[in-house]
Amino acid sequence: MSYLSTIDFFEDKDFIDKYQYTLRTGELDLSWMNAATEKVQCEPQNARRGLTFRDCDVGSYGFTDMPELIRQNRSFAPRGAEIPAGVPDLQAEVNRKSEVWAYNIEGYYEEAMSRQWNATTDVPWEELRKYELPEAIGKAYSQLLTFLTEVEMIATDVPAKWMGRLNADFFEVKNFIATQAMDEARHAEVFRKRALTTGWGLMRASKANECNLKFLRDADSFAEASLTLHLQAEGMVLTLFRFSELISPTEVDKKMFRLVMQDEARHVGYGMQHLKWVLDHFPERREIIHRHLDEAENFVFGGGYATEVLEPFIILSGKGMKKENIEQGLKITAQFNLKQIDEYFERLDKCGLPERRERSKLALAMEMTRAVIAAQ
Amino acid sequence: MKVIFPSLEFFRALQTLMQSERERFKRLGYFDTTFGVRVLDGPRAHQYVLRFEVFECTEVRAVNDLGREAVDFILEGELAAWVEMLRNIRQHGAADVTHSINTLTHLGERMRVVYDDPDGHDKLYRFAESVQEFIDLAAKLEIEFPQRSDTAHAGA
Repeated sequence: MSYLSTIDFFEDKDFIDKYQYTLRTGELDLSWMNAATEKVQCEPQNARRGLTFRDCDVGSYGFTDMPELIRQNRSFAPRGAEIPAGVPDLQAEVNRKSEVWAYNIEGYYEEAMSRQWNATTDVPWEELRKYELPEAIGKAYSQLLTFLTEVEMIATDVPAKWMGRLNADFFEVKNFIATQAMDEARHAEVFRKRALTTGWGLMRASKANECNLKFLRDADSFAEASLTLHLQAEGMVLTLFRFSELISPTEVDKKMFRLVMQDEARHVGYGMQHLKWVLDHFPERREIIHRHLDEAENFVFGGGYATEVLEPFIILSGKGMKKENIEQGLKITAQFNLKQIDEYFERLDKCGLPERRERSKLALAMEMTRAVIAAQ
Repeated sequence: MKVIFPSLEFFRALQTLMQSERERFKRLGYFDTTFGVRVLDGPRAHQYVLRFEVFECTEVRAVNDLGREAVDFILEGELAAWVEMLRNIRQHGAADVTHSINTLTHLGERMRVVYDDPDGHDKLYRFAESVQEFIDLAAKLEIEFPQRSDTAHAGA
């Protein structure tokens, strides 16, 4: 209990007298009825879509005219409300709009809310009875699911960690990252549940992967955390989910990966629109972004190519462990790795960071992979 | 009623089926994208634009050049690949493990996703289940395919 009231209300005679007087006389104060706020009546612009944040983007309640620096509101007062004297300073750590904002943030939130799904009931678990996976495939798939569960647990923690640190005026962003925390929690749930239905359960946690995840979690600022979580890590995981759908052994798994990829693509969308916003409104951050990506990519290369991560892909994409399966798996996995990195650079290019492809050491990883493919 | 594939009528039939299954698509959530379909047929290409908004398919039209249309992405493949996919959907009631849109397009071997803008490309994945379930509605159609040697046995 680190925050204490400056008054002990149970011992404050003035407070108790006023409380009792009001109850006894019914004399109401009613000063709140004259709150100095705008009178508005928002309506849905599209009845089929419902009442959206965009419909509520009006005057002092809106986000369009929100200043870059939030100096006035340091409390939980909802944007547009009258802020009385004496509200506590909650010491939000992030008070600069360009550190958190994204083009179309309100749209991503509404999409997130309408596309929620339920890992318990929307995946046709009962159909798994139709399938029996060979031992090598079952174990490789369980290892992949273990890795994905680990990833999604940290992906839940990161937005949840930052949510309370953002100024309350960034309402739409806070709500969006709340949906993200829910999405990622559902992903951890669905991958854990799937692992526990394979007959093998969970396999081995990944040291290299967890070092990468710790780097994500411990970012110094929200902007850095978003850059590496939303854009770099989730962008690569999105490609991974599509690859996982491709190599999925059952139709149940196909559906599961289509559902998780939808959420992941939405997070990537936020990450892209956020980076664009940062580069448009806070261009001096460009070099900081590059430096953060330098280290993020180092972790990606080290983590993504750990044996417990790489080998299940090879076995699953080759559909077995015979020599010809492994050869086929190596080819497909190499193609996947190239696609993953290429799509990452495409997104950065689109966000206004085209020089990243030249500067990044991941370009060397691509050259190495291409050389291996050419030699096969 | 039989519908011919590829044809504008085929996609209009899917649009009508989607309308009749509004609750199913509403459960999947907002579906806001415009994408193209390109069916490569020898020297010809059958091209269509499909627009989705909120929970509905609001527009279906045939076009001469998808390159001139504002679309998020284009699903492109040889006629034989499209026919094989649709026959598979008809046979199983929905695409099986080897015939989902993502599986067919991911490595670009059977079909491709063509795009200029990675943000537009990612919409295929943001709405992945809606796109798949829209295409899977073909299971409810009686489809007449071209009588050609390279499509007659595809996926049969």
